[in-house]
Amino acid sequence: MNNPPLLEINNLNVTYPNGSQGRDELKALDQIFLKLSEGQITGIVGESGAGKSTIGKAVLGLLDSPARLVSGEIRFLGNSLIGLSEAQFESLRGNQIGYIYQNPMTALNPVLTIGEQVIEAIEANTDMKGQSAQEYAIQLLERADVSFAKDRLQKYPHQLSGGLCQRIVFAIAIAAKPKLIIADEPTTALDVTVQKSVLQTLIKLSKEERIAIILITHDIGVISETCDYVYVLRHGKHVEQNATNNVLQKPEQDYTKSLMASVPLIDKRLHRFPLNEENSFDESSTGLNYLQEKQTIQESSNKPLLEVRNLSKIFVTPSSLLKSKQLFTAVKGVSFNVDRGETVGIVGESGSGKTTIGRMILGLEEITDGSVIYRGKNLKELVDAAEKRAHCLSMQCIFQDPYSSLNPRMTAGENITYGLRVHKMISPGKAKSLAQDLMALVGLPSKDAEKLPHAFSGGERQRIGIARALSYRPDFIFCDEPTSALDVSVQANLLNLLKDLQESLLLK
Amino acid sequence: MIKYILKRFWQSGILAVIMSLIVFFGMYVVGDPVEMLSDEDWTEQDKIELAIELGLDKPVHEQYLSFAGDIVKGDFGISFVYNRPVLDLIVERLPATLEVALLAMIIGLCIGIPLGIYSGIKGNSRGTRIISFFTTIGYSTPNFWQAILLILVFAVFFQWLPASGRGDTNLLFGIEWSLLSVDGLKHMALPAINLAIYKICMQSRLARSGTQEILYQEYMTFARAKGISRNRIIRRHLLRNILIPIVTITGLEIGGLIAFSTVTETVFAWPGIGKLLLDSIHMVDRPVVVAYLILITLMFVFINFIVDVLYAFLDPRIRHQK
Amino acid sequence: MKILIYLINSLFNKVKPIFSGHYIAIAGLIGFSFFLLIALLAPWIAPQNPYDLMVLDIMDGLLPPLSKLGNGTTAWLGTDALGRDILSAVMYGLRLSLFVAFVAVAIGTTIGVILGLLAAVKGGWVETIIMRAVDLKVSFPGILLALMMLAIFGTGVDKIIYALIIGVWASKARLTRSQALSEMQKEYIDAARISGIPNWRIMVRFLLPNSIAPVLVMVPMALSGAIGAEATLSFLGVGVPITEPSLGLLIANGNDYILSGKWWISIIPGLVLVSLVLCINVVADRIREYNNPYLKSKDQ
Repeated sequence: MNNPPLLEINNLNVTYPNGSQGRDELKALDQIFLKLSEGQITGIVGESGAGKSTIGKAVLGLLDSPARLVSGEIRFLGNSLIGLSEAQFESLRGNQIGYIYQNPMTALNPVLTIGEQVIEAIEANTDMKGQSAQEYAIQLLERADVSFAKDRLQKYPHQLSGGLCQRIVFAIAIAAKPKLIIADEPTTALDVTVQKSVLQTLIKLSKEERIAIILITHDIGVISETCDYVYVLRHGKHVEQNATNNVLQKPEQDYTKSLMASVPLIDKRLHRFPLNEENSFDESSTGLNYLQEKQTIQESSNKPLLEVRNLSKIFVTPSSLLKSKQLFTAVKGVSFNVDRGETVGIVGESGSGKTTIGRMILGLEEITDGSVIYRGKNLKELVDAAEKRAHCLSMQCIFQDPYSSLNPRMTAGENITYGLRVHKMISPGKAKSLAQDLMALVGLPSKDAEKLPHAFSGGERQRIGIARALSYRPDFIFCDEPTSALDVSVQANLLNLLKDLQESLLLK
Repeated sequence: MIKYILKRFWQSGILAVIMSLIVFFGMYVVGDPVEMLSDEDWTEQDKIELAIELGLDKPVHEQYLSFAGDIVKGDFGISFVYNRPVLDLIVERLPATLEVALLAMIIGLCIGIPLGIYSGIKGNSRGTRIISFFTTIGYSTPNFWQAILLILVFAVFFQWLPASGRGDTNLLFGIEWSLLSVDGLKHMALPAINLAIYKICMQSRLARSGTQEILYQEYMTFARAKGISRNRIIRRHLLRNILIPIVTITGLEIGGLIAFSTVTETVFAWPGIGKLLLDSIHMVDRPVVVAYLILITLMFVFINFIVDVLYAFLDPRIRHQK
Repeated sequence: MKILIYLINSLFNKVKPIFSGHYIAIAGLIGFSFFLLIALLAPWIAPQNPYDLMVLDIMDGLLPPLSKLGNGTTAWLGTDALGRDILSAVMYGLRLSLFVAFVAVAIGTTIGVILGLLAAVKGGWVETIIMRAVDLKVSFPGILLALMMLAIFGTGVDKIIYALIIGVWASKARLTRSQALSEMQKEYIDAARISGIPNWRIMVRFLLPNSIAPVLVMVPMALSGAIGAEATLSFLGVGVPITEPSLGLLIANGNDYILSGKWWISIIPGLVLVSLVLCINVVADRIREYNNPYLKSKDQ
């Protein structure tokens, strides 16, 4: 090839100052290289913290002040982009290289209309002004599959849905027919139902205009649907690169394999996720004995452990003088059974009421209609305080966000056993050893029970959350997307742990 | 939008009623007006007669209703000291306070906000550091001591400007204004500067933090990624957003200005309502104190209401609230 | 003893990154410590007891700085109309001003935090009443409320502390509530609820430690505000009693003599007041800046 590639990155290094002292540095990007030719769709895949977004910002000269481009080469159509002035970058941005943000709701200015923001981009990057810019804006929106384009120009971002806003961001990005668009997780913030069609619009636009796209994502599914070529990143380092099909079918690196393997496949039910490295589960743990002690006193009945009958939840926004109360139905007429030792899944997109169901079962949310019968009893009908407490304690929850599910001001051990101690179900001395045993049971060093939550990673915190739930010897655990906030490779590991625990303890 | 305004209006009304309750209970129930009004040589009989005359023998809620009723009718009673209707006293002093506050406000806005936006944008530059040095000193210096220094420097030492009084006034719309005469303006200079210094410092600090907050929003980076020039981003994206907090602050600060004018007017012997309040507190002229507090409350409620409405006009997210 | 050393050590380690490299803030901290020390030691280091009218000699009145007094001692900073040594009066005034401000801020902050937590946890009418009261207070300038209070209850050291508390609590309550509400969204609170941990324990062990930090950041600012407000009220003659002058009252006393050129009586206490407030404010600014998420490096 005689022509220089559209974009070429060689040996790029970017650092962030780490900690308040500013002395240590965190390498956000470590010797990254990348090559991209015109019209090509290239994916950059990696978990959060892999430095994917930093690449995009470095190319456009948008690195925010604490980040520093240390060394390396970025060439666009053969011209170096390192050390360009702000004015030179301005003529490049929008005009030659477009950028698409993860969250369209924060990328659009809330106090300017859609029209103002689209036309502004048109006027900055083309010769069009006034009426012609307005017409072009409508045209752009229509091409980005925005219906009622003309009316939408008068609207403000908060009046439109996330999917529409992202389409408008696309329209802004293609306004000047740039050669390259950097799309930073363009569908992650959107509802699952619209993700696909929004992505299709982006691909369509790219094909029509022969715009090359760098698609930054954590979702290997998105990559497989769209990209010609893939780079895999981890902790700011290059892992692997190849044509998409090659990577998908025969990944070379172990990391890529686990990234691939941990994506659950729809058509195959796995007993466990195949993983290379794994915290093994210790069958002889003392924590396990503690948990199994109780198993003897189980009543043997063939009734289901949990019966959910016709459960509904209506949220009411309270009325005020001038506003009548508003109703929002979150859950309507849901029924299901859970038997002892059985796993029941609840699937649905965000906002479909999964969490609300769980919160009602656990008694965190008032039940509008229907009933929850657990161990043959309805919580509402229990009067005796002790019985009520025992009833509640035997249902536990593993939460969605490990970063917020532990009290940051208590040590891991205190987090696990605080409730038991409050209820005087255990002596302080025993609480300490129990906390250590449970830590060991979930695969963490037992001496770490003394540490505060911030010393642990997300996956480790989630394990502490599991230990906390287990400390009450529950019969039923509600797992509210326990892995969605975690990296894929950690997710699989954690699910395996849950599976193992369930088998040895006969929980839900 | 209309719902929003009506809601605010309703809330403002409640606020006014509650404040009048507080003032009423504070002044009439906690303090004993009879003790305050009576001389030492009064007999018990005299005191009882006075209590009946003041309506103190009636139940509390009736007292409040007649108190509130009088206010609605504009009857705030007669000043003990001046022996004139309180409302007249306040109304004739109000222009003096308003003109100084207004002047200080304008000075404060015109200097404070540009300084704040400048230092917000420039980050850690030398200009920013100089500005923040002066604003820190400015708001660390209590108002009254600033006033003393101003008098010492400009009135005692240089003898450029008069230290007290209102000077010549001219009539406009039947009201005397110092703004309209050279001598009046000279007299107004020191009090207005005194009030304005604090305003400049506050406004610039608030504008600065507002600017910084907006600069870090993602839509600012996205605007840059769109290829829009820096100047245009500041003019359009920044100013439009920063207007919202500034309007709020400015509105609320009008109240602060009026409140602080009690201090400034006292030091400069400026015959406004602030000085009237303080003199009345010292001379236990209760009707004046009550009337002042009630009127000021009503004024605040009104200003807050206006600010809320403006806010809705500026922020489309509120405007479209159902 | 060991615990004390440990506490001081951990405090130092916490404070160090805030101030290291910020010389103005360090100077402010040193200046504030200096004033605090003088205030604490005033009865032992002041040349004269300004509250003791017996030692005052009217013949020593209105002397400029560095004058010799009747009893042979030097009045380094001059005397006021009663013949009171300004240096001693300033030391005692500083003591009173700091005392009033500290007490008011401590009580006001505590009340604010408790009310804020209550509003967040209880919700319903408890929250409505507390937050309406906060709105009411915040929409009204503190100085006017204080004037109103003092007009109703009369003056005195205790009365001015009450008036200042009224000025302090509301913003703390509002901040605590919003912090606590955002903490309550977090799942560890749900976890505690599922475990049947009673509400007051959730407040004390879960919400309080996790929502207090931003409130503490505001404390220095509240302190300097309270010092300024006390000075202003005392200057206006509705604060501390004439017999126990704070810095503000000293300035007011000197104000009558300023036109006759006797500047030291009000300028010296004023300089001390401004330096004190300035020291606290630069420290407060630095602490706020350190805790401002917008000025910190963002992740990735």
